[in-house]
Amino acid sequence: MKDRLAILTASGFGSFMAVQYFLTAPVANAAYRAILGWIQIVFAVALVAGVISVVRLHLKQLGRRRNQRVYSATLLGGAALMTILGFAGGVEQGSPFLWIFEHWQAPMQSTVFSLLAFYVASAAYRGFRARSAESAALVVAALIVLLGRVPIGEWLLPFLPSSADWILNVPALAAKRAVLIGIGLGMVATSLKVIAGIERSYLGGR
Amino acid sequence: MIKTRRWIFAAMALAVTTALVFRPGLPVSITPETRHVFGVIDSLAPGSVVMISFDHEASSLPEIGPLGSAIVEHCFRRGVDIVGLALFSEGTAAGYDLLSRRASVLGRVYGSDWIYLGFRPQYTAAILGMGESIAGVFSADYKGQPLGSTALGKRVRDYRDIALVVSLADGSMPTYWVEYAQARYHERIIAAVTAVMVTSYVPYIESRQLEGIVAGLKGAAEYEQLLGHPGAGMRGMDAQSAAHGLIAILIVAGNWQAWRLRRKRRTMEGASS
Repeated sequence: MKDRLAILTASGFGSFMAVQYFLTAPVANAAYRAILGWIQIVFAVALVAGVISVVRLHLKQLGRRRNQRVYSATLLGGAALMTILGFAGGVEQGSPFLWIFEHWQAPMQSTVFSLLAFYVASAAYRGFRARSAESAALVVAALIVLLGRVPIGEWLLPFLPSSADWILNVPALAAKRAVLIGIGLGMVATSLKVIAGIERSYLGGR
Repeated sequence: MIKTRRWIFAAMALAVTTALVFRPGLPVSITPETRHVFGVIDSLAPGSVVMISFDHEASSLPEIGPLGSAIVEHCFRRGVDIVGLALFSEGTAAGYDLLSRRASVLGRVYGSDWIYLGFRPQYTAAILGMGESIAGVFSADYKGQPLGSTALGKRVRDYRDIALVVSLADGSMPTYWVEYAQARYHERIIAAVTAVMVTSYVPYIESRQLEGIVAGLKGAAEYEQLLGHPGAGMRGMDAQSAAHGLIAILIVAGNWQAWRLRRKRRTMEGASS
């Protein structure tokens, strides 16, 4: 019964949102506006449910997994600190909340992200090999784009930026277009299957 | 192998640090794409409203920050008003921080010259909802003031009052702006994205669904040059040049070493047979 209700809801709202695009009647527009409002409410509730779930999981881990306690404690402590600071001190310029975001969170996340440069450099040396004609073409294209997108490339060889642009705008774009068309067709097919009640994986894999 | 990796890591750190310290200041040529985006914003009449959506995570700030800063500065200098918002939770504080800093430097007043709406989850509903009513999606601004209590908040009812949307993104969010705000409400969209995302958006430029694209730290450096105000983008390009140059050298060195090993193995096999 619960599954049928979920399928009927998905099918009904999915069909309406597809059809309303072509309707001009005021009642259709009012229903469309109401649905947009409800979507946001449902997602806000989902967000709260997600926070509760994360907190519960890490509270459990505090008690059970000794080797991961420090990570769970850091997560819970950080979440509690930012919540308290946000409510107590506000979120405006000069507030402790924004100070911590700017001076702790943003630099820490940027640091982790910047580690990618080190691993890319290492992988480029150890794994990016021209073992066949195809992989050799890939290596040459990578070198042109890599140097063509920065001033040093233009300084060394002035034709590199236009060559890099050609690679990005012709062969790479052709592949990208194919992927985008594939994704688009896949989305239409999946949406139709959900509306028809054939695709049911959103019910939890049943 | 571990030793080689350590040397590579050390070389990368040295290359980037040297470039940041000595700043060789190689010239950055301006691409037509960035010039076009600059021209679009430059052509807006003073008093027009640009919506800037901070659709990125904190980890992308070193690349997106200079780009956003240059665009915000351009808008403020032109007398164009800004409505800021975030469709990624982490973009919320980053966007407010960036806007309030640039506004205080350029003497722009909150409420009349710029407002910040904050974050809304579920971007599809938020983008579509703002086409019907911005106050319907954001009843209050980031500071908790009712939207109608500010002069600028009163002026913007839906996309018809927004001259241009700029999505500062490190992912696929500009696609959703195109699919929902452009396709349904014919809003003009500009994507200001990380360099790695450029190829994803070129098809939308060619179909004229995207008004323009400006990408990565290089885009920021180009924009700063057009503004006549070199900043973090220009400084970053030196480091990026050094890092890209080193990676190119490593690719060539790795392939040369592999070729030498292959040749040696073949020679040994030939000798043994």
